[in-house]
Amino acid sequence: MAILDRVRDPGERTLAVVLLAPAFALLALIVVYPIGRIIYQSFFDARLSGGHGHRFVGLDNYRIAFHDTEFWTATWHTVAITLITVPAALVVGLGLALLANLPFRRRWPVRLALLLPWAMPLAFAGLIFAWFFHTEYGIVNDVVRRLGAGGEPTMWLLRPGWAFAAVCVTIVWKTSSFMALILLAGLTMIPRSLYEAAEVDGASHFQQFREITLPMLMPSIVVALIFRTITALQTFDIPYTMTRGGPADATETLAMLIHKTTIDYLDVGYGSTLAVAMFVLSLAVTTVYLRRLARTP
Amino acid sequence: MSPAARVATGLPANPLAGRGLRLAAAAIVVVNGFFPAVWILLTSLKTETELVRKPITYWPRNLTLDNYLRAFTDQPLLRFLGNSLAVALASTALSLVVAALAAYAIARLNLRRRQLILTAIVASSMFPLVTLLVPIFETMRALNLLNTYTALVLPYTVLNLPVCTLVLASFFEGIPRDLENAAMIDGCTRVGALWRVVVPLAAPGVFTAGILAFVNAWDEFLLALSLNANASMRTLPVGITLYQGEFTFPWPTISAALVVAIVPIAVLIALFQERVVGGLTQGGMKG
Repeated sequence: MAILDRVRDPGERTLAVVLLAPAFALLALIVVYPIGRIIYQSFFDARLSGGHGHRFVGLDNYRIAFHDTEFWTATWHTVAITLITVPAALVVGLGLALLANLPFRRRWPVRLALLLPWAMPLAFAGLIFAWFFHTEYGIVNDVVRRLGAGGEPTMWLLRPGWAFAAVCVTIVWKTSSFMALILLAGLTMIPRSLYEAAEVDGASHFQQFREITLPMLMPSIVVALIFRTITALQTFDIPYTMTRGGPADATETLAMLIHKTTIDYLDVGYGSTLAVAMFVLSLAVTTVYLRRLARTP
Repeated sequence: MSPAARVATGLPANPLAGRGLRLAAAAIVVVNGFFPAVWILLTSLKTETELVRKPITYWPRNLTLDNYLRAFTDQPLLRFLGNSLAVALASTALSLVVAALAAYAIARLNLRRRQLILTAIVASSMFPLVTLLVPIFETMRALNLLNTYTALVLPYTVLNLPVCTLVLASFFEGIPRDLENAAMIDGCTRVGALWRVVVPLAAPGVFTAGILAFVNAWDEFLLALSLNANASMRTLPVGITLYQGEFTFPWPTISAALVVAIVPIAVLIALFQERVVGGLTQGGMKG
């Protein structure tokens, strides 16, 4: 009976342990163990195909990565995509949020227009925009032609530079609506009285934007930026569906290289080494952000 | 028009001009959000001969539903839909249960390190999923779980744990403790009070977290592509991507399949817009 009593009215401590156990068990299985595992595996020659076995090779995988131009190119693409699309999505998202914050009689069309790109799988955005950028039958080249730009149609997804640009445009479209939703929530929290007071003081619209809107919006901007940067470093779906990383690896990201090495080549050891590199990159970015966050009052 | 709105875009105070600009603003947002989906809908209704005509047509000349027929017969689209539904529903249910328990402990019990516990759960969402791909693939392969629902349900549950915990914890905190205490004075046990008082009151929060988790799981691509490569086990995003052959891109069929795949998620968010927006800003999540 003593056991039953405990179950029917358990102490706070026991209850806490029981309630938190499933969450932490899952986190241990899917997050903590894998992190330990990739660090461990990165010191091994562990290819799942053929009879290579499992051989300790020390820092060999890291040495290989250091001289692997594909690794550096993919890392550079990842960093470039982050540096380009995160600020661009912030600017576009801020614009959309300011527009969507106007006092409309019916709010749902605008709200749904921000929600649809967010809710759609990244892979679908990639497919749809690949169709937009189609050389022969894409609407982008049709609009360019109608605007009177002569010459041959641009082969968007078949030229390295253009393909990279097309991938970036798609990412910005897909992610700016998430930014807009977060910023819109921030905008609606700004008290009207601040603007009314500024109006009385004769502040111009631009001054009001700079002195009230932007500072009051800062917390939302920081939150949106952190989440967006972390996901941008993992960019995979959109370049994969648009170009498969091509032409000639021009749009291959670190995530795509890890996927190719592990899933296509079944080279778990080297895949783990690349994953460690990705982990360090994200950790560095997150730390920088959190430091900044701690410094801003 | 409020000053806040006017300052946002620097619109003049004149109500007539304000109305015109407001419509223009709405048009920009609406076109930006809907155009890609509308264009793919128009593409899906065109015949194959019309699609390869130059210059391209904007409005379909001869409406046809053939592409939809082919979308379902060329690839097992219904099967993809079923797989996506099964995986998303199972992982949503599982993450709601696990997150509700954790959120209740964080919101209600007098834990000394509650902030640390919440941070630990949320921080786990900051780890890049790709780095976890390698060991998850290895583990599922060793356990013979590749090409099963389980292979995706477990990682998706963890993927959604932070958002669900955040949303639910803030909902639980909003429920007055007195209600629970009153139930306990009336003879309910703590667990009884949780079940009879807290759970019903938190239902809206559970629902919001559930929608976010569902959308997240429905959209996931990398793990679905890597763990369930078998054609009969693919989810929608992966299945539709693989309509294309090595050199062929059957755009009419892909468009039709895309429309079929976008409609369920569009209906879901259209029905529950306000909840989704509320949860999104509370939980902060994928972009």
